[in-house]
Amino acid sequence: MNARETPARMHSSVNWALLGLVIERPSYAYELARRFERTYEGALSLSSVSHVYTALASLCERGLIVQSSAAGQTARSRRRYQPTVKGIAEHAQWLVGQVGEERRRQRVLMAQLGALAKTPARALAALDAYEQACIAEIAAAPGAGSDEGPGTTRLVARLAGEETRLTLAARLRWTQYARAQLQALAATQPAGSE
Amino acid sequence: MSLLAAEHVGKRYREGRRERTVLDDVSLALHEGELVVIYGERRCGRSTLLRILAGIEAPDSGTVRFQGRDLAGHGEESLGAGIGYVRKCFRAGEEQSVLAQVATPLLARGISVRQAQLAARSALQRTGAERCAGAVLSELGAGETVRVTLARALVLSPLLVVIDEPAAGVELSQRDGVLAQLRTLAGEGTAVLAATGEPSELAGAHRALTLSDGRLRGPAVPELARVLPLRAGA
Repeated sequence: MNARETPARMHSSVNWALLGLVIERPSYAYELARRFERTYEGALSLSSVSHVYTALASLCERGLIVQSSAAGQTARSRRRYQPTVKGIAEHAQWLVGQVGEERRRQRVLMAQLGALAKTPARALAALDAYEQACIAEIAAAPGAGSDEGPGTTRLVARLAGEETRLTLAARLRWTQYARAQLQALAATQPAGSE
Repeated sequence: MSLLAAEHVGKRYREGRRERTVLDDVSLALHEGELVVIYGERRCGRSTLLRILAGIEAPDSGTVRFQGRDLAGHGEESLGAGIGYVRKCFRAGEEQSVLAQVATPLLARGISVRQAQLAARSALQRTGAERCAGAVLSELGAGETVRVTLARALVLSPLLVVIDEPAAGVELSQRDGVLAQLRTLAGEGTAVLAATGEPSELAGAHRALTLSDGRLRGPAVPELARVLPLRAGA
């Protein structure tokens, strides 16, 4: 890449997730791939083992991580990756940006629901399904009773579980509001209208 | 055969000159070892539904069967033999020890004091409240009270435990422990039916349903439940 070129904004969730792991603990590619699978199981996945090498190359290219150059290292040595100051700063920025990203996804969802509102019965059916998906996710969210895994894993599970419950609880309350609104809309429409 | 099966249950209440439909054509089946939680806003009818499913209150229409037997006219019998309804309050004997309170349902059935106390200790141990045995009720925290009332329901070895708002008033730090306790009971084979207005209390449920406008939404029978991976601690 030409040094003067500004790399395009990094959109890959996998790349950002991998950067997070490097920040947590500098490591080798293979170990990072293992930790990636353990940490993001069910949320993110690598398309193949080589995916981790592609992602690491991209992070290096953007100056977010560097390969360590330990004394005595040979060309055949395993390459260890560590974050740069820029990488740590951009990762923090990305985390904050997720708030906006979440809102963007919700706006898209609202627009989709709005598109169905012309036929309130259809929108109400979609809302019911959405509500069921929310409560199923809350029911399956990790709880604090777990004794599995090391302390950090348990902490992450607890934090993730509580975040899921609180976020989806708000959405459940919203579905009650949306249902009342759609029912009111349906009541104003002539019977049998589609 | 389902342990509990409600079919087309309806219930209406008169409020002044108006009549309010609380439950409208509600059907639900529950199997042994299942933890089913019903979520709904305040005044949605969830407590009414629990009382009807426990046989405490009769529906206006529809049937509720427990182990194949219609609860109509047999509700109180089933409460002592098969269904344990968790009452959050203690009616009398506030100064009695927890052990004595938990043993009371057995004493009322003519079991000897020694046997009743042994069973009460075992029930308290099962709910993680064995350390409360010597305490009096006023000394218990909210989380401990839930565990003790749960033990009092379990002392009669029910096949189904019915509990309304299991973690209401329980501190956040103890909430997950109480919910995990319900999951453990289900894991041991006791079916648990709970209702709540607090979404976080859905955690760990095998099936979660919503009640609004008198209608129950969601997987009313186990076969319709989305198979959820049980994640750590859930």
